[in-house]
Amino acid sequence: MMGQVAALQALVIGVLLVWSSYGKLVGPLVGARARRTALKKFVGEERAEPAFRAVGGVELLIGAVLLLPPLWIMESVAAIALSVGFLGFLTYSRVASPDSSCGCAGSATAPVSWRAFGRAGLLLVAAVLASSADVSWSSLPGLAAVVVVLAEVMLFVAFSPELDRHWLLPLRRLKVRLTHPLAGTAAYDVPLATTQHQLLRSGAYRAVNSLLRSDIRDHWDEGEWRFVSYTASYDDRPATAVFAVPRLRYEPDEIRVAIVDDENGETVYRPSLLPVLA
Amino acid sequence: MTNTLDRRTLLTSAVLGTTATLVGATAMGSLAPETAFAARAQSPEPGAPDPNFAEGRVTARDGSMILAAGSDGRFHRIQLTGGTSVWKLRPTTLDQVKVGDGLYARGVLMPDGTLAAESIWVNIVNLKVHVTAIGKNVLHLDHNGSRIVGHVVPGTSAAVYNGKPAVSDLSMVKVGKHAQVIGAWRPDTNEIDVATIYAAA
Amino acid sequence: MAGLRGEVSWFCCGNAWGPCGSAGHGACGTCNSGSWQHAWTNTSDACFAITRPDRCGITGVSRRTCGFRHATTNLCNGARVVTTIADCGPQTDLFCGERACCGGTCASNRVIDLTPAAFSAIGSLNAGLIPCNVEAG
Repeated sequence: MMGQVAALQALVIGVLLVWSSYGKLVGPLVGARARRTALKKFVGEERAEPAFRAVGGVELLIGAVLLLPPLWIMESVAAIALSVGFLGFLTYSRVASPDSSCGCAGSATAPVSWRAFGRAGLLLVAAVLASSADVSWSSLPGLAAVVVVLAEVMLFVAFSPELDRHWLLPLRRLKVRLTHPLAGTAAYDVPLATTQHQLLRSGAYRAVNSLLRSDIRDHWDEGEWRFVSYTASYDDRPATAVFAVPRLRYEPDEIRVAIVDDENGETVYRPSLLPVLA
Repeated sequence: MTNTLDRRTLLTSAVLGTTATLVGATAMGSLAPETAFAARAQSPEPGAPDPNFAEGRVTARDGSMILAAGSDGRFHRIQLTGGTSVWKLRPTTLDQVKVGDGLYARGVLMPDGTLAAESIWVNIVNLKVHVTAIGKNVLHLDHNGSRIVGHVVPGTSAAVYNGKPAVSDLSMVKVGKHAQVIGAWRPDTNEIDVATIYAAA
Repeated sequence: MAGLRGEVSWFCCGNAWGPCGSAGHGACGTCNSGSWQHAWTNTSDACFAITRPDRCGITGVSRRTCGFRHATTNLCNGARVVTTIADCGPQTDLFCGERACCGGTCASNRVIDLTPAAFSAIGSLNAGLIPCNVEAG
């Protein structure tokens, strides 16, 4: 069985390399991706894109020869050399330019993480195994070998952040649908952000905005109202602007405001269009 | 604190229009922000640093004076007054600004070079993120490839869906979608407390 | 350029603290959170390819380069600030159709991002997203 598993490695590696080369060769974003990797530091900004494309070209070539019969040991040796090169470059990326993106499989912004190392390491193991194969991958493999290789492919998928949106995110969405982790939040107290949201959109705020000097300083609840106070200035004298906002409803038009002198406590300004409550 | 209660009672009756009682100056009190009011600021040249604004990390605190090291190498002396508002996930008191906190401060530059602060926002961040997972009272976020843990704070965290009024119900935030999060960074960690999340429902 | 109506938010650049720490000094290399600067969606071809305001139906966003002045007015309170371009952004096409309204005036889609210094001059930093009007400054 191990012989068949070894034979199938050429198929797995070939598909992986061809897929990986796609993002390095096709599309308008290749240059931008190249410049976000550590290649920019390694060979300089102008040569980053050509170098990136060259790596893609090498991947495509090795992938293609692995997929096409016949099987030559040189193909596996080339794959081993490529994997060692990847591991070396990932280490360089991590050490010399930790903010750069991996550039793996053409991904745009994923940084170098343990998953990238895992995938490159697995690729090396697969390439070494492939070098021990006697027959081409197209010779019919037994069920046991197929199962082993399927497990290996799943491991490659697990190591690939680019593929998360196809399986990991749907799984997480399902988990959220089943466990409702944030269901309790609907019952919480009305947040101040809600009050501020309607306050900033009210006529009362527009009426006194030029008098305000600070952001929200204090807030307290009483009955159906939430009161919010700001530091203000009226006639160059220190004052406090206080707003009364409906706590449980969204009604910016019902918001009231008054400016109170800090020293003598007098209400110095209350826009007259707003009715006085008894 | 009787002082605060008296003040709140006065302000409540002032805004609701019931008779406002005249209270003696001693019950009100203020840390003399008059000098700040007198010197209203000039606007800076577009593109230039704003002299009435400070950005940096708090390195020391001496009573009501804060020393902050700016990211551009400048050092700021920021004076807190009785009129300064402090936001640290929510409006809070002057003593909550601690050494190691990051901050933005807006105020008035005094002739002696100190900034008389009117508003301070401590550890505030505004992140464009990708929601990667949701757990009990926690959102796992991806910000430009880095992992950020967003803690949902009961009674404080709010959600804005498609520009509608903010609500406390965060259950419609979806895994895999983009969002914008205003929050308070927990210094020296990759964690934040979520103040508001803007998402598409 | 006639006024462009949309939403404005804020972003940090040049900060040494927080998740902003790796942001650098923006596409123009001069961006600082404490300066009156902003990010524009069309500073270059590469920039436009990322922000894609056209995907949200916004047409006529002029190509402007680093240092160009725009004036942003907060539709909720009339406050106005003039800033220069220092970065590429916001990513308009990620938030297509998002609306912010203020007393009957509504605006859709993110069209500009200001630094904290500039945004705090016309609004509150924890308010996050406000409807605005943008003109050449």
